[in-house]
Amino acid sequence: MTAQVDKPIIEMTHVTFSYGTPEEGDAGNNAGTALRDVSLSIGAGEFVGVIGPSGAGKSTLASVMSGAIPHHYHGTLYGATVVDGHDTCDVTLTDISQVVGSVLQDIDTQMVASVVEDEMLFGLENFGVPHDQIEARIARTLETVGISHLRGREVATLSGGEKQKVAIAAILAMRPRVLVLDEPTAALDPASSTLVFDTLRTVRDEGVTVVVVEQKVALLSEYCDRILVMGAGSLVLDGTPREVFSHGDELRRIGVDSPRVARVYNSLARGGLVSGAPCLTVPEATEVISGLVQPAPKTSCHVIGAEEEAREAGFRAGSKHVAAPRPHAQGAQPVVSLEDVSFAYPGSAASVDHLDMRVYPGEVVGIVGQNGAGKTTLTKLLNGLLRPASGTVRMAGLDTREVPTSAIAAHCATLFQNPDYQLCKDTVLEEVAFGLTLRGMDEGEARARAGAVIGHFGLPADEAPFSLSRGQRQMVALASVVVTEPEVVLLDEPTSGLDYRECMTVMDTVSKMAERGCVVIMVCHDMEVVSDFAERIVVMAGGRILDRGGTLEMFSNARLMRKASVRAPQIIELSEVLARELSPEFAGISQVSGIVDLTEEMVRRG
Amino acid sequence: MVSVIDYVPGDTLLHRLNPVTKLAIAAAIIVAMFLADTYPMLLGLLALTFALGAYAHATPKLVSLLKLLVPLAVVMLLLQTAFVRGGEPVFAWMTTEGLVTGSKACLRLLGVALPLILMLSVTKLNDLANACVEVLHIPYRYAFTFTTALRFVPVFSQEMNTIMEAQTARGVEYDTKNPVRKLRLMLPLCVPLLVSSVGKTDATALAAEQRGFYLRTRESSFKRYPMLGRDAAALAACAALVVAGALL
Repeated sequence: MTAQVDKPIIEMTHVTFSYGTPEEGDAGNNAGTALRDVSLSIGAGEFVGVIGPSGAGKSTLASVMSGAIPHHYHGTLYGATVVDGHDTCDVTLTDISQVVGSVLQDIDTQMVASVVEDEMLFGLENFGVPHDQIEARIARTLETVGISHLRGREVATLSGGEKQKVAIAAILAMRPRVLVLDEPTAALDPASSTLVFDTLRTVRDEGVTVVVVEQKVALLSEYCDRILVMGAGSLVLDGTPREVFSHGDELRRIGVDSPRVARVYNSLARGGLVSGAPCLTVPEATEVISGLVQPAPKTSCHVIGAEEEAREAGFRAGSKHVAAPRPHAQGAQPVVSLEDVSFAYPGSAASVDHLDMRVYPGEVVGIVGQNGAGKTTLTKLLNGLLRPASGTVRMAGLDTREVPTSAIAAHCATLFQNPDYQLCKDTVLEEVAFGLTLRGMDEGEARARAGAVIGHFGLPADEAPFSLSRGQRQMVALASVVVTEPEVVLLDEPTSGLDYRECMTVMDTVSKMAERGCVVIMVCHDMEVVSDFAERIVVMAGGRILDRGGTLEMFSNARLMRKASVRAPQIIELSEVLARELSPEFAGISQVSGIVDLTEEMVRRG
Repeated sequence: MVSVIDYVPGDTLLHRLNPVTKLAIAAAIIVAMFLADTYPMLLGLLALTFALGAYAHATPKLVSLLKLLVPLAVVMLLLQTAFVRGGEPVFAWMTTEGLVTGSKACLRLLGVALPLILMLSVTKLNDLANACVEVLHIPYRYAFTFTTALRFVPVFSQEMNTIMEAQTARGVEYDTKNPVRKLRLMLPLCVPLLVSSVGKTDATALAAEQRGFYLRTRESSFKRYPMLGRDAAALAACAALVVAGALL
């Protein structure tokens, strides 16, 4: 081990890979190249994050490192990948996996056992770990990952976050030198995601090299030593989080988001106020801004009044980038209303109780809360997949208990987290037109309208939906929602699995629909997206609505956020801290540009 | 939501028996069911199954399975009475002989399905696979294929459910009362289900290989599954049961 410290544990030189055989590649399918001339080396003990837009080759990169390419996925591979001194082409996948453990994207497929302990045993048994050492290894690994209490549990009864940790532990028990994870937090809420990354940090502290593909920039910037940015199959940037996120514009161009505080810093740097590597956390940003702006003189009892006043003013004015809540038209009726709705799943403790909610035309409402808070149940009550046990749900004038789900669907379109459940036709055109024909429109007109929408999104009309990339499949699903011009759009985790650019396309599209009077209700774990697009939010926990109101007002309520285990967006957190420590004028700012403008103004004022 | 083959945790003698012995018990009851031809024996075997179920705290599982099987059994009874027309007429087309053969067929149907499910529900799938490899010398890859297939049943039915929900929310009339129409609407869904299941099985194969699947031998299992005295006793009882079934 000591001899390896300075040597890279994984070294890739000029690796190019395309799925499929060379013949197919020559047939004009250049887009099939998943990796282009990637050279990099990963040192022992590093914590490396891989980020990039969808289709950039992140998963392919992970497969190359774990040996799944060339041993499992077939295609054309150029260049060399050396893992722990061996070229991956010369040794078997089983040999590679003794050095590189990999956790797959869909952990359900990785699990081999129904009980946690058996899951842990599988790898150890196979690799012939002496049986007298197995017990100690399992106990130690479970402790490292922090799940000793789950040892006897059935996998099926675990939460998403717990399952992810079991998957990590099962691989870790085999003592790999490298752990490669492909989007381990894609299905998790923010609180569980943070816990998984805490676990990974512990694993790294034990001396294991960690390579993680991840979309959540705030997590990557906080935990990783090094970030690799992939774009169109190439390695675009490679450096520490600070180095990488100082290239904010370049990242945005290839479709990667930056942490919001880094954006504040980069904007300030553009104005010449600061220079160097950007800040990545709220405390760092507070320090930077405090250094620029003199704190307002604090005058004892007056301060509270001023702070309140400024906060009020902030709410009144609204942020300049979120449209102010549209006033309800005089006498407008709510399109969606829930009155004292309760529902319980038979044979399980999960339930929602006493839900009340009214949504008016043109509103964008976000529903936030932890996994298991009842958000998905709420959306199913809205689109009629579940009927309330008591209370009434009204959707566009229909009582959901009185009409079939398919009739509700004519008014309310749902965009699911996973587009693959929605797609069932042979071509994109048929797929998009399908929703219209279901509503009784004749084939010709449906196709004409579908064609127009497909053109707008720039999708290939004649391709089979399943041959498209994940992001494009989500766009097809979105197009089939847009084309029906529904009165209500429900979004269930609209941004998970999408890169920054695709996410913005989805959100801009639904915002436009809202401007035309459509109601948009979204369940979303990405609080930045919620704060950018929703004007009102509903905060849920334990099957109940804790509170509802203006987005900023809810996010600024620290007590409420703690109760719901929701972390407010970085900028709102930052403006709260700045308002408290520096000047009440910062209160109520929810956008990067708001913070930047105010800071610049205050610097000018002196 | 409860899957029929879920494990029912417990520490009864039935739980502690060697998984292979448990398979033998299920097999013995089933064989006896086919050999037996008198009501007391058939009912007795069913009662034995339920007694074992009650002992292993798996009664709710058997009852939920019964709810599925009874309608099937009734259909079978009606068909049997329609085909077997001997003896005295009793009611409409039904005859004494028809009723007798029909009802016995029903009892056998229940008697075949219930013991197998009972034994599966008191055995962890991994133990079953490992014990079959150790005691019966079945190659591990077959045992693994079998347990993975069983494990995927609830996964796929969940998947199918999600797909149906997504399609219903789009306005496809799965909530129609007409079963033929419903079936015709369901056919196109095979495409997304097939796409996702091919992807899942492929990922499972990869994950298993990356965890040393091909290195596994009969000696690999950490847990051992020796045949003990109680297993021998249970096997003797099984043999007696089969003999009783043949005689009665």
